[in-house]
Amino acid sequence: MTPAITFMRRLSSLIYLGLLVAGLAAVSAMGIFFMVVSDLPRVPEPLNRIIETPPTEIFAATGERVLLLGGREAVPLNRISPFFIEAVTATEDHRFWEHHGVDKLRTLKALWITLFEPGRIQGASTITQQLAKNLFFSFRRTYMRKIRELLVALQIEARFSKQNILEAYLNQIPFGIGAHGIEQAARFFLGKPALELNLAEAALLAGLPKSPTRYNPYRYFERAKVRQKIVLARMAAAGFITPQQAQEAFQAELNLQPRSVESRSGSYFLDVVLNHLEERYGPDVVYHGGLKVMTTLDSQQQSLAVDSVQSGLAKLDQTLGIADDTENSSINPGLHPQGALVAIQTNSGAVSALVGGRDYSETEYNRAVQNNRLPGSGFKPFVYYTAFEKLGLSPATVVVDKKVTIAVNGAPDWKPRNFSRTYEGPMILKRALLKSVNSIAAQLVERAGPQAVIETARRCGVESPLNPVYSVALGTSGVSPLEMASAFATFATGGIRHQPFLIRRVEDSLGRILEEHIVGGQRVLDAAVTYQVVDMMRGVIDEGTGAVVRRLGFNLPAAGKTGTTDDYRDAWFTGFTPNLSVAVWVGFDRGTGMRDNNNNGITGGKGAAPIWADFMARATAGEPPREFSVPSDIRLEKVNPVSGSVAGAGTQDPMQVALRTGQDTIQASEIFTKKPENSPKTPEYTTGTPAYSTRTNKQSTIVEEDLAPER
Amino acid sequence: MTIVTDWAEPKTIKEWSQRVFALRPILLILLVTGILILEMRFDWVERILGAYLVTTNAARPESGAVWEKGHRARTAQINLEKIITDRQTSQREARSAQSFAQIAAGLSAGQGAMLSAERFRQLYLEMLPTVSQEIISTFDLLKIAGQGNWRRTYFEKNGDDLIAYLLDGENRVLREIDIPSNVLPQLGRQDSAAAETLEDLPIFKNRIYPAARFFEALAAFPDEIRRNMILNPAALLIPSGQIMRVGISDEAVSGYIDLGFEFANGTRRQVVLAQGQDWAVWRLRSYIEGKDTAASPITDYLKDQKPR
Repeated sequence: MTPAITFMRRLSSLIYLGLLVAGLAAVSAMGIFFMVVSDLPRVPEPLNRIIETPPTEIFAATGERVLLLGGREAVPLNRISPFFIEAVTATEDHRFWEHHGVDKLRTLKALWITLFEPGRIQGASTITQQLAKNLFFSFRRTYMRKIRELLVALQIEARFSKQNILEAYLNQIPFGIGAHGIEQAARFFLGKPALELNLAEAALLAGLPKSPTRYNPYRYFERAKVRQKIVLARMAAAGFITPQQAQEAFQAELNLQPRSVESRSGSYFLDVVLNHLEERYGPDVVYHGGLKVMTTLDSQQQSLAVDSVQSGLAKLDQTLGIADDTENSSINPGLHPQGALVAIQTNSGAVSALVGGRDYSETEYNRAVQNNRLPGSGFKPFVYYTAFEKLGLSPATVVVDKKVTIAVNGAPDWKPRNFSRTYEGPMILKRALLKSVNSIAAQLVERAGPQAVIETARRCGVESPLNPVYSVALGTSGVSPLEMASAFATFATGGIRHQPFLIRRVEDSLGRILEEHIVGGQRVLDAAVTYQVVDMMRGVIDEGTGAVVRRLGFNLPAAGKTGTTDDYRDAWFTGFTPNLSVAVWVGFDRGTGMRDNNNNGITGGKGAAPIWADFMARATAGEPPREFSVPSDIRLEKVNPVSGSVAGAGTQDPMQVALRTGQDTIQASEIFTKKPENSPKTPEYTTGTPAYSTRTNKQSTIVEEDLAPER
Repeated sequence: MTIVTDWAEPKTIKEWSQRVFALRPILLILLVTGILILEMRFDWVERILGAYLVTTNAARPESGAVWEKGHRARTAQINLEKIITDRQTSQREARSAQSFAQIAAGLSAGQGAMLSAERFRQLYLEMLPTVSQEIISTFDLLKIAGQGNWRRTYFEKNGDDLIAYLLDGENRVLREIDIPSNVLPQLGRQDSAAAETLEDLPIFKNRIYPAARFFEALAAFPDEIRRNMILNPAALLIPSGQIMRVGISDEAVSGYIDLGFEFANGTRRQVVLAQGQDWAVWRLRSYIEGKDTAASPITDYLKDQKPR
């Protein structure tokens, strides 16, 4: 047999084998086709029906929309920048206008690479196939899914025009941070309609759908620029632009829209709103029902709050000696201190700003509402109010700052220590609050009883579990910043409690009202007693532990209280003007103590009060000063801060106190030299240096114990 | 039919050539090549398959993400419609209610209804003074209305009680009115006919007097006192017919006592209710029953009264 014959024999065998394989493949393809076809999803007609679901819209109190859920902001092709259309087609499917659903050459090439170049997978999906996948299929990569996707793409091509297909595609592709469709994306990222995108902007956005998270320009700008360059190169290769234009576009400056609340799919504030809506109406109604939700959000305040928290925490990072790693990678929430801020309108309870952490994209854990951290001395206003109301004490009542040991039934004695570890002897209660003296707060709670303090906190709206133990006076039960801001708002209003709320009204898509909030205030605290506490808390800001607020330039009438917990795990500042109550917390999620490089602890005054002051100064900019209203049965007197007696001409550093009708200066001080009548065990007031001396105050007949301060 | 059984492999290259370049193989190759070229050029396979799939579209299932979303949207709409319908029903019932009692009856737990301030005032004015004073003093209501910012009233159930919130334009509560469940039944009472005869109303049991005797006693008192005995006597001029009998309740509510006037118009009878101040009505009743023989000057009565 000649070689030629052998060749011909082999060739003919190969041809017959090829025909056999082709035949079998054709039969198999037919089989698969008919097997799959009955199970293919129905394609909606018209195609733009996919964007007809009414969106749920969430609005700020000032009227602007802050979130669009579920729906699409669809625009026709003639309302989209031609640059973007060219960029997308060049990048995703450059033969889009020629093929009928499948790009065979690209598919064969991709098949070859996938089969014969191990480790490489080449995609070849056309825009129509991507549309089919997005509309009907999961993102699980299986051959069967690809076949189904291909067939649906063929049907879409057979039924709809290229313009219809491209329009549907461009209006539903995800760009990340909650933006679906080019119109939303253009507005979110660049603050302009899709029609006005220039070449550089169009190329940037066209690069995002490949991996919206990876190329998020807010977080990974350099990556997004690299991707933009690829898009521009493909546009040039496809002949849409010249290489020169591509180069110019790449070098053009991109003005990304500031990352406002609107430009993110979620925020701590919106999380709380959405959680409420889901609980009330269910997820289907929230995400597909087309609700219109009017919230209490003040967009400007919210932006300021985010900024204040982030800049405050950045400074805290520096103070703590934590390296700034934001340029290279995302912040590890565990390594950096976190913060929370809640701002509440005192006259209604409307939450105007809420920040639950330093960055929502890093951690969605909402420390403003979910985090119950110990408030420390931030709880003392409830103690003082209780003491004034229940025991009839006044801010001028003199109590001795000294070591105390309080017996506890069935438990070791409680020995609260002052933050400074020193004891200053007698002082009026206003001074005690200004200096946040623990020993005096302990004496007050011992007399009033922890349950009474808890009851006061409850009246103010604190709902978290509070342990009925003496140490509750020093804030040893966890509360949330939302609770603190709301509870202190009750002081700001002179004792009228408003339930905090974030949603004013919910309507359906036709404007029919589903719910609306009723702003009901309830008097829960006595106005005069409340004013006494507020006046003392003003002192905290003016000359006490929160004086940093004044140093930082916030000058409106305001009252507040710092809070710091053991080992500096938590730093709080909660304060208010007559209009706005704001609570700020900072601390590590894991409860690690906060100490600077010199091993000094971060107190509420150092860690939280600066954030509070920064926010308040900007949130109230331009507001005229408004004083807290003084009840008619309150009179203001200047007293000696040590003796509590009326200040005379020679009194050093007299302190103004608010006294109720019938209250005299230092009238109640003697009760703290006696055994409490309702104490379960005899308190053992352990004094420091027994250097007592008695003296008679000229303005008063009350004999004081003078305790030399222990240093 | 010819069965090829004598096929033999070509032995020479010439035979191979003759077979390969025969008409049929060439046509077959041309056909296949043509088909392939046409497919690459015109995508006819895609077109045929696509066209076929279009014909089967209507019979295929509504499955996949976009349809699921649609189903969810429909479910959401159904749920929303139910919520809205319930709310509108309670709103409609509240708007058509003729008394606060009917509003309360139309509300279920957790439901509320919003009425205009105007409608609240209408319902308030239609109540008997004895009852209306029970829920809010006219002077208090006057003060709120006079401030000019009362826009709406929201009603909601709190257990069996009814709570009414008088609201301003920003939904701030100007006044919260708690109406206990035991008061609610009385809120439906009005001055209009309450029954056909006084015997139908247990509150007048054993205290029903002939009209002549009642008016004779009434005439014995000075005007200053009579004004307190029947607070709105003009209302009794509205029904046609003759007053046959008068009933006096033994129960004072918020300082007022009910009086029942039984009218006869041919064979038809009806009872019209009125109210009087308790101290005045008690005095009148004593006079009717002969326990008080003389009508004292007004100062004798008034000096014992505590201000209300």
